[in-house]
Amino acid sequence: MFHQTTTKTVTILLLFIGMAIYTVFAGFYGRELVIEAAYLVILAISLDMVAGYGGMVSLCHGAIFGIGAYVFAILTGMMGISPFIALVAAIAASGLFGLFVGAVTSRTSGIFFIMTTLAFGQMVYVYTFENRALGGDDGMSGVARLDLSMIGIDTNDSLQFALLAVVFAALSYAVAAFIMRSGFGRTLVGIRSNEVRMRALGLPVLRYKAFAFGISGALAGLAGTIAAQQTMFVSPEMMSWMMSGEALVIVILGGLGTLVGAAVGAVLFVFLQHEVSEVTRYWHMVVGLVLILVVVLGNRGAYGQIEHLLERRKKGAPKASALEVAAEKDASHA
Amino acid sequence: MNFWIVQALNGLQLSMLLFLLSIGLTVIFGLMHFVNLAHGALYALGAYVGVSAFALTGMYWGAFLLAPIAVALAGVVLYLGLIRRMRKAGPMNQVLVTFGLIFVLLDITRIIWGDLALSIPEPQLFTGRSEVLGVAYPTYRLFIIGLGLTVMAGLWLLLSRTQIGAMIRAGVDNDQMAACLGINVERLFFIVFCIGCALAGLAGAVAAPVLSVTPSMGTQLLIPVLIVVVIGGLGSLKGAIAGSLLVGFIQTFGAVLAPQLASVAIYALLAAVLIFRPAGLFPAKA
Repeated sequence: MFHQTTTKTVTILLLFIGMAIYTVFAGFYGRELVIEAAYLVILAISLDMVAGYGGMVSLCHGAIFGIGAYVFAILTGMMGISPFIALVAAIAASGLFGLFVGAVTSRTSGIFFIMTTLAFGQMVYVYTFENRALGGDDGMSGVARLDLSMIGIDTNDSLQFALLAVVFAALSYAVAAFIMRSGFGRTLVGIRSNEVRMRALGLPVLRYKAFAFGISGALAGLAGTIAAQQTMFVSPEMMSWMMSGEALVIVILGGLGTLVGAAVGAVLFVFLQHEVSEVTRYWHMVVGLVLILVVVLGNRGAYGQIEHLLERRKKGAPKASALEVAAEKDASHA
Repeated sequence: MNFWIVQALNGLQLSMLLFLLSIGLTVIFGLMHFVNLAHGALYALGAYVGVSAFALTGMYWGAFLLAPIAVALAGVVLYLGLIRRMRKAGPMNQVLVTFGLIFVLLDITRIIWGDLALSIPEPQLFTGRSEVLGVAYPTYRLFIIGLGLTVMAGLWLLLSRTQIGAMIRAGVDNDQMAACLGINVERLFFIVFCIGCALAGLAGAVAAPVLSVTPSMGTQLLIPVLIVVVIGGLGSLKGAIAGSLLVGFIQTFGAVLAPQLASVAIYALLAAVLIFRPAGLFPAKA
């Protein structure tokens, strides 16, 4: 179950403040990295909501992310519609697609769920890839950025846009944490722990799962709009299953089912990618090895490991209720 | 008319390639409940080993023989090092570990063989074109079709007529019960995994003269193969045959008749099967 513990609050605040401070002192390239990290934070948090808390391991979040980016690009770039409306429309479209996929797949579980989401994601990817009207495999350029000049923010300035992206990431975390703390979030965890029992309690389980996927989709769409604004360009590669896999890798590296871990994972991922690429061309091999290692060593991820160590130090203190322990145990198996 | 025959042969050839890959994956899937996303990467490895074997021996048949052996050996290493301990880890962890393996194998091939597209020439025995049903068709592609049919028949005989085949079927049906009857299911898994890897390597070597050998060839073919496996039904030979033919023909005819529709149609088919018949068209379990 999600608790906004002190450890979580401290870590997430340090992370976002650190990103903001780094942005101020970094050059143009550093700021680009911050923007990339910021939208990956949002994408990873959205995936963690369903995968970590709902037990729904999605391989179509890349596609939903891409839908957000493409809707934003089509509305601002091709139709010249105001970026604000485009932002809302993109989030709505991704949310609706998420809701649709969630509703259709809610009956399946385990590997079948993974495969079904993969199928839907690839459908979107292939459709976009083949569709010349959407630029096909060349993608689409000419995406506009949000116009915030009335409150004195120039989004075409790299510093201000990067800070804006960090703010969006922080807001996304707040929203996700709020939802996971609410009755809805708790219900979701209950479904993951024991779907049959929740159904027996009279809960419309399938509807809950679909809504959770919809909310997560909306958040992934927001991440997509930021990615589209950063480069002012969208390409179908954003939608491929490798992107979804990468999002999953980020969540795992940070720590599944903690929300904070997803954010930490995204920053770590971007930072590592940058650092390793300086040394060797074979960055993917490093990620692959780290991923295998993390999973084999108990799948806690960076933040999960910190939480685990702190927990162990406090072991003398009385443990939470037996239910809580069972839930934790379950979370580590998810 | 000629157009249809050529396209049908193309479809058949693609189907056979898909079959060689999917049969290994489906039996591993059905028998071990193990999701091996790295199967495509093993196929790419087979193609690369084939390239080197050809350079070494100067003969296509060197590649044809060495690639399956090398990939089966790689499978042994993977099984003992990683897969054995991931068997009971749940689908998400398996997806993650094998996803990590894709990355590792991809970069290993890039380190050893570079980024450029390579290829092997066709074997001398099968160069040129042959007359089939009134059309001239590349002989080597006919060879692929024939090889696929041979492997199909061989596996069918193995699974339905031999003792080890009966053991494999028993394991797919109910592994615990099979273990109770004294079948060493663990060893069976290992053998099946190695055969699956060897077939993936064979597919790589066979595909090398037709397709260009690139690091990403594995990830490109992985998704269609997964579709075949899921559509057909996990662990089922009949399912792998039906799935390969379905996907191969839809892809081939779709690409020439309605490119935009066809590529989406395959995924729509997959989603429909998963939702309405999650066990696949030909489930292995009764």
